[in-house]
Formats: sequence, C-alpha cells, structure tokens
Amino acid sequence: MAKKRKIAIYWLGSCGGCDEAIIDLNESLLELASEVDIALWPIAIDAKYASIERLGDRELALSIIHGNVRNSEHEEMAHLLRRKSQVVLAFGTCACFGGTSGLANFLKPNEIQNWVYGEAPTVVNRAKTRPQAETTVGGNHLTLPVLLDQVHSLNQVIAVDYYLPGCPPPVDLIAQAVRAVIEGKLPPRGSFLAPHKALCDSCPRNSAKPPKIELTHIRRIHEVDEDSATCFLARGVICLGPATRDGCGATCLSINTPCSGCFGPVEGVDDSGAKFLSALASLIRAQSDSEVSGILDTIPDPAGCFYRFTQPSSILGRHRK
Amino acid sequence: MWKTVNTGAARAEEALKQFLPPCQLKCPINEDIQRTNVLISMLPLDPEGAREGICQIGDYLHERNPLFTVCGYVCGLCELECNYQAKGGSIRRRLLKRFVSDAYMDRIREKEELNIEKTKEDVAIVGGGPAGLMCAYDLSRRGYRVTIFETSDRLGGALWLIPHYRLPEDVLTTAVNNLVRICEADVKYNARIGEGKYSLDKLRKDGFKAVFIAKGTPMPRILTYGREKVEGQELSGVMYGQTFLYEVSHGNIQPNYFGGKKIIVIGGGNVAFDVARTARRLGGETTVVCLECEDKSSKDGIPADEEEIKGAWEEGVQIVYSRGVRRIMGKGGKFQRIECPHCASVFDETGFNPVFDSTDIVNIDGDVLMITVGQGPDRSFLQKENLLDDRGRLAVDPLTLQSLNKDWVFIGGDVRKIGFMVEAMHEGLVAAESIERHLRGLDMRAGRKREYEPQDIPFRRIYKHEPEVVWIPPEKRLHFQLFERGFTLKEAIEEAKRCARCGPCVSCKACLAIGIQHSLPVVEVNEETCSGCGICTSICYYGSAQWRFKDGGTVSTTDTFRCKACGMCVVACPSQARRMIGDPMDTRIQEVFSTLGA
Amino acid sequence: MTTFEPKIVCFSCNFGWGYLTDPEVREMQIKHWIPVVCSGKIDATHILKAFRSGADGVLILGCVDGDCHFQDGNYQTRKKVQLLQRVLPSFGIDPRRVRIELSLDPEGNSIRKIVEDMGRDLRPMGPLGMKEISAKPVATR
Repeated sequence: MAKKRKIAIYWLGSCGGCDEAIIDLNESLLELASEVDIALWPIAIDAKYASIERLGDRELALSIIHGNVRNSEHEEMAHLLRRKSQVVLAFGTCACFGGTSGLANFLKPNEIQNWVYGEAPTVVNRAKTRPQAETTVGGNHLTLPVLLDQVHSLNQVIAVDYYLPGCPPPVDLIAQAVRAVIEGKLPPRGSFLAPHKALCDSCPRNSAKPPKIELTHIRRIHEVDEDSATCFLARGVICLGPATRDGCGATCLSINTPCSGCFGPVEGVDDSGAKFLSALASLIRAQSDSEVSGILDTIPDPAGCFYRFTQPSSILGRHRK
Repeated sequence: MWKTVNTGAARAEEALKQFLPPCQLKCPINEDIQRTNVLISMLPLDPEGAREGICQIGDYLHERNPLFTVCGYVCGLCELECNYQAKGGSIRRRLLKRFVSDAYMDRIREKEELNIEKTKEDVAIVGGGPAGLMCAYDLSRRGYRVTIFETSDRLGGALWLIPHYRLPEDVLTTAVNNLVRICEADVKYNARIGEGKYSLDKLRKDGFKAVFIAKGTPMPRILTYGREKVEGQELSGVMYGQTFLYEVSHGNIQPNYFGGKKIIVIGGGNVAFDVARTARRLGGETTVVCLECEDKSSKDGIPADEEEIKGAWEEGVQIVYSRGVRRIMGKGGKFQRIECPHCASVFDETGFNPVFDSTDIVNIDGDVLMITVGQGPDRSFLQKENLLDDRGRLAVDPLTLQSLNKDWVFIGGDVRKIGFMVEAMHEGLVAAESIERHLRGLDMRAGRKREYEPQDIPFRRIYKHEPEVVWIPPEKRLHFQLFERGFTLKEAIEEAKRCARCGPCVSCKACLAIGIQHSLPVVEVNEETCSGCGICTSICYYGSAQWRFKDGGTVSTTDTFRCKACGMCVVACPSQARRMIGDPMDTRIQEVFSTLGA
Repeated sequence: MTTFEPKIVCFSCNFGWGYLTDPEVREMQIKHWIPVVCSGKIDATHILKAFRSGADGVLILGCVDGDCHFQDGNYQTRKKVQLLQRVLPSFGIDPRRVRIELSLDPEGNSIRKIVEDMGRDLRPMGPLGMKEISAKPVATR
C-alpha cells in the first residue's frame, strides 16, 4: 500500500472559525482522513512542533494555514511550514488579506497595549503591568512570542501557492479545494480557489436594481425597513458586494445584511477598499461640495468600513507613524 | 496656439452607425456643427491669437460649404432641433457661425483658386442661386468644366431678396463671387435659358453633357380669393413684394422713398415681413394683413418666425390678423383701399382652403399695396422644355433629382420644391453627385439614402441658460445696417462651451484635430470579470454603458457609438473589469511613478 | 529637513489646462506631470499608488465646475478626493497631501506656481516616505 501523503492544518493569528469550517466538511472529513495523514492540526490532533521539524523539506504535500501573522511565533511557524511543504494554501481571509484584526494596523502597537492593559474602562492596573517577552521563574528562562509592529497577511511573510478567501471559507469551496489538491488538478500557482467575479454576479437582489443608482443619503441597516428583494446600495446602505469576490453564496444577503467584504477584492484587483471608494463616490448625487460633505459625514469610519478585512494588504499598508 | 490637423476624417458620411447629433441631422448638408463648436470653445481669449484659430475653423467649413458665411446671417435650422432647447435654450449656433464668418471675410478674398485640372465633361448650370452655386463648386472640384447661366447681372439668386439689415451685401457678394473664382467656374450673365434661341437642346448641341436646372421661383404668386384672381392687381401703387425687394437690393430706391405714405403688405410669411420692415425703413407707415391668426401653436398660426414678428412690431409695423382680401379698389387707376373679410379658418383636411365670413368686413386704406403671398417657378419654361408630367407636375426623381423625361437634365432647389437656402444647397450637392454618376455610368441610387438617428443630450448636473441676443433699440434701427449684434470672442467661446456635444466621436474628432489626444480610445469590458453590478450604468452620462441579461446573470456592455471614452466607467468599476484600449495614460503613469524614487 | 523638496505628482486635464501651449514646453516646466484627457479618469488607486511610489503630494487640476468637456468628470473626481481625504487620516497621512483645483488656464502658465505653492505647504509635514516602507515583519521592542 502506498504511503499516505501528509498534510498540515495550522492556525496563526486566527479565531478558530476556519477550523470549524473545515470540521463542517462532516463525513467528508473521514474520507479525507482516510486518504491523507494529518501531521499537524492543533484544534483536533495532538502533535508537537518537533515532529514537524523532524520532517524532511517538502515532505508535507500541503499546508493549510489560516490566520494572519501578528507575532514572532506566527512568523516562525509560517517559515517552518513553508520549508516543509510542497504546497501552501492561505486559508481564510486573515491569511489571504490580513482579516479583521488587520484593523489594528490603523493604530500603533503601544497604543493597543496601553488601551488593553491600561486605559480601557474595565481595566484596573495600578502597577501598569505589561506583558513581557521574557522572564525567569524558578531559575528557568521563559519566553513568550513578541508582537510584530503590524498585522501581516501570509504572503507578506512567506511565498503562498494558493488562496482560499472567506471569513470563514464556505464548505463547498473547501471541499473543492481539498479535492483539487488531492487529485492534483490545480490551477496555476498564485491562483485564488474561488470565483473571479464580484458578489453582485450571484446576488439575488442584483437583477432588480434600478437602472441608475443615485445616493442622496447614506443609511445604516437599522435605518431602513426590512426588504429582502431590493439592492442595499440602491437604498443608500453601504454594501461592499460590488467590490468583493463572489463565492460565499451570498449568505449575509440572504439574512438581510449587506456585504462587509470578507472575501476580499475581485480577481485582478489589488486594493478593494480603493476601488469601492471610487465606486461609492461616483454614485453620490449632490449639487455642491458642502452637500457631498454632508452625505459623507454620515459614514462614521470610512477607512474601517472599506478596509475591514483587507487593511494589511492595502496599497497604503499600515499607519504611517 | 493649437494648430488644427485637418485630416478631414470627421464627415457625417463616416459616422458608422448612422448616429448624429440632432443639429447635424437637421442641417440639410449635415455640417460638422459639433466639431466647430468644440474648436471655437478652445480658442485663446486674445483676439490676435484667436484670429489664426478662427481662420483654421473657417477653412474647414469653407472646404465643404463655400457659402457658410451667408448661413451665419440667415440660417439657424439646427437651432430648432438642438437638444439644449429643453434645458435652457438652443445653442446659438447661427451666431457662432456668424462670428467665424466675420473674421473670415478677408481670408475668402485671399483664398487661392483650387487649380483643379478640368479633364471631365462640360456641364451647364442654369441659375446662379445657392443650388446652382453649390452644384458648380462640387462639380468643379470633381474636375468638370462648369458654366453657370445666370439670368440677371449678379450671382446669388433668391438670396438678394433678403434685406441688407439681415444679410449685409458685402457678405453675400464676397461669398458668391469668390466661390466661382476659387472653383474656376465660368459664369455667363444676362443669359436667359428658355428665351429665344437658348434652349436646353441648344446647350446640348454646344457640348454640355449634362444640365442642372436651378432657376428658382422668380414668379410672384398673384392674389386670389376663392380661387379667382382678385381684380385690381394692375393698379398703380400695387406691386409684388418680391419684385420690390429685388429693386431695393439693386440700390434703386432712395432713402425715405415711402416717407409719409401708408404701405399695406399682404402675406404672413417671412418674406412678407422682410417687405414690411424694409418699407418701414424707407419711411412708410406699414401694416401687414394676413389670413393666419396670431396663435402660432394653432393650425392656422402665422408662419413668419417669432423673431421677425417681434422685430417688426418693435419697429412700429402694425399687424392685422385673420383677414383676407376680397377686392382691391382704386380711383383713377391708382390704388386706394382693400376690402378685407374676416378669415375664420385657413387650413382644413384638404389643405389650404380659407373660409371667410362675409358679414365681417373692414376696409383698409393705403397708398401702396405689396402682395407677398408666395412665389412660383417659371412654368412656361418647364412646359416648353418638356419637363412636366401629364398632370402638369415636375417629372423628377426626388432621390437623384434626375428628370424623368430627359436623363441628362437634373432639377433642384426652389424650382423643384420651395424651401430654405440650405435645402437648395443640399440639392445642388445631390445633383452634382447624380451628374457624376450619370456621366460615369455608375448606379444612380446605390448608397444615396442614409438613415440617421438623432442622439439624446448627455446627462449633466448643470445646464446653462442661453445668452441674451442683443438687438439695437428699435428707435435706432430704421436703416439698412445690421441690427443684431454678433458675439464678441469671449461670448463666442462661452456659448460654444455650452454645447453639450451630443453626437458620436466619429463625426466630431475635434479633440484629435487640436492634439488633446492622439487617437480615440475604445472601452472594453472583460466579461470574465464583470459581475453586472451596474455601477458603470449609473455613472455613464452618455447612455453608453448598459447592462443586459446573459447566461442567467447580468453583464455590462458598451455602446461604442455613444461612448466618448471619458473613462468614468473604468474608474467607477469596482471589479476593474473595464479598460481603455489605446489610452496612453497608464503608460505615462508608470513612467512618472518610476522617477519618484530617484 | 531644510533641504526637503516635496515630490508632487501633478495630474492636469487637457481640456482646461495648457491646451494652447506645446506639450514639450510644459514638460520642461512641471516635474512629475501626467496630462490626462479628463480629470474624471483619475482613480483613487492612482493616488494611493503615487504615494506608494514615493510622492509626497498629489495635485489634480481639473476644469471649472459646470464646464467639463465630458459633462461632469471634474465633479466625480472632486467627490473621490473628498472621500479619500476622510480615509487618509486613518493611515496617518495628512489629507492636505491630496489637493484638487478646478479652474481654467488655457496657456497653463499657472501650473508651475500652483505646484510650488503646494510644495511650500507640504514642506513642514516632511517627506511621506512610503516608498521606503516594506511589508517584511519587524518585531516590536
């Protein structure tokens, strides 16, 4: 019997949702487990880093890595897995683009630490204790991973072969991707294993759009009546669907929530935030500068809104200072 | 200063999908209105610097329309169809053209002869009016030896009917005389074809292989009442308005000729008003009497232009509406008064069929009566030359203008169908094409009829109001100088800027002519990436970006004839599914960005 | 800091700026100059990439409001710039580094001065220095 191929599934700066999505494969997981050897999967399997270090270079057929790179441990493990793998799949939006925690890039690291361990209203820290990278306890030298100065997407740290976006990726795309790797029927390296077009392509509300959208007001979702058929943008509610890759099955739309852009930019686009900005600006209808200002004033945090999932991979990158 | 590159590649014929802005559609010769509007709007503000630019624009216009300087004073058909009418007022294109022609007058006189080798046949043109002149110009350019036979001692035809306060004599003579000089056509004055030995057959024998008859409508229509000729039209003091205007144009009438006299003008058309306002300027107390009523929107509305009526009224001309003339009465052979019943209706389902109320009669006294109720062709000539059909109508093919009785004879202009100057010019061009096809043995009809669709006004946020047209105050107007003030350079640039540029790029290309870009880019949609989100459709001002259903979804498309390659859709597309082919901007951006690191 | 000369990328619209002057003459007067057919063709992405390539400021010159040859291209760009100026502070970039002027200058003689004026305003802010930033991980402390 031929030796089973080895794969690794690993989390970096991740919430664990991507692991849950893989588990949602349900019975197909058993099929998968029968065809491959899962050498590393912290949420499900007991394995040590040393066992990975012992592997030969490129001995892992596939590493599925989710989560962004935020601290030195993530960085180290990313490099390790890259060395030991033939194919690296950036799994989930955090790995592909940086994810929601990428919004931390709008702040400086010490600002974050000061808030979390000092200024937040529920914190009492008179000694002004801060987490340290090293300490000695009982004569033993202990270390903790160190925060990096910004949140990184996976491809800013190692070379990535394939991308599967989503927060989390939907089960059907995961099954397709895994099947493709196992059967060796993969598109060219660097490809996204998801549709190429924007969400509007499969959104059920798209065909009922009015011929001209002209926004004179921008509204929040709670300010409009529930309506399961009309396009959100047409009613002035910001929906990032037009600038976001398709593939999620329009799940948010089906529960009457506008798209927040978790699948990242459409094929061929570097910065979905900038593209959405241009698109939104063009839809605004006002006569004077001050009218335009008035409409834009109703968006409390445009940068956060447009770059909610993709800040680390944006053209401008992290905060300047 | 920009220099226009007249590649000549912007003619209406080349507008592929038969789209044109409505102004160019209305113009019988499809002049490049949009292109000249854009060029005027890009002139420098200083008059010296602008002069060269204006002459370049003039050259472009003159090449295709050597009578364009006249149009700027008397035409303006395009303004009737201008899309801006509903948004703030038509673009005052006539005044823009007049602006160009005023600066261009010297240039016409200096223009060199075309020096074309006349290797083709001899063609005779009977009539030196606008139709005949355009035909002569076109045929000369094609290499035919053209001879114009003109009845009077000057070229211009019915253009001489237009009073000098509307069309200065200098503008008319410069245009027509230089036209024949530049195209080196031969002109025979005082040549009355159809009289004596001068028949069409004689022309044939003299070697002319084709003849274009553009004799116009020299015969004033006589006054009738209930289909009977009204008695008294031979009384002294009764004349035909048309004849009167010709006399005035010859300079034969002294100033204040009608001082102290009461002039009555019968007729409700523009010519009647020309007569009335001319009589007024000669010192007469003038009244216009017409069948039609005052309400221009009704079926019986007075046909004269609003501007004419307003001008006449300001100058003190009285207008009596809804009256016909039943009798012309005189005493001792001299005109005294007219008897006018009320006209209840002018037109009905059968056409012109005035109905009078003989219980409501007024008498109007006067010293001079001018009858201006229309003009007609010289029917005896047409009959003698066997050009009529058996119902007495002109036997001519309306598409090719070829006579149905004699295949080497072509007929056009007012003589065929009375109309505007530019319509006659158009027929001159049609006849020239027909004569060429006939003599070269080509198909007469292929590709002649072109169907064009008018294009709508693009959307924009701000539409501007038309400028005021300035006339000299009426009390200062009673002379034969122009009373309408033309545009200054600044005003012309402003007004030309107001043009919304409704028409397709292929029939304009002004931006290419002055080097703003070097080719017309094309917008392409990548259907692999387009999600059919419709944002491009929302932003396109020209109705070019549209979406259609495809394979169960939607996708966007570009109508390349409406597209102006402005790039708004490319920028607004959140999928970057649109791009411009042939646009150097991206290359330039790369170049500049790469130097920033240094 | 005293010798810092801000690098300003200048986009200018051909229908409103300098169409009466030869392009070669204008090239010599304005550094980092990108003539475009309409200011509406400038995307937010272009502005961001300009910064990323080393520009300290981006200047956009378009036509007078209401006079755009392509109907409303200048108005479209104005809206984009307004929205972008609200996004830039989150990235720590002073919104005054993007400037848009809508006016008419057929000879194009005022462009050089407008760029210089903007340079003077940007000098106290210092270089943006985005070309030097890399995406490589760097540990804090």
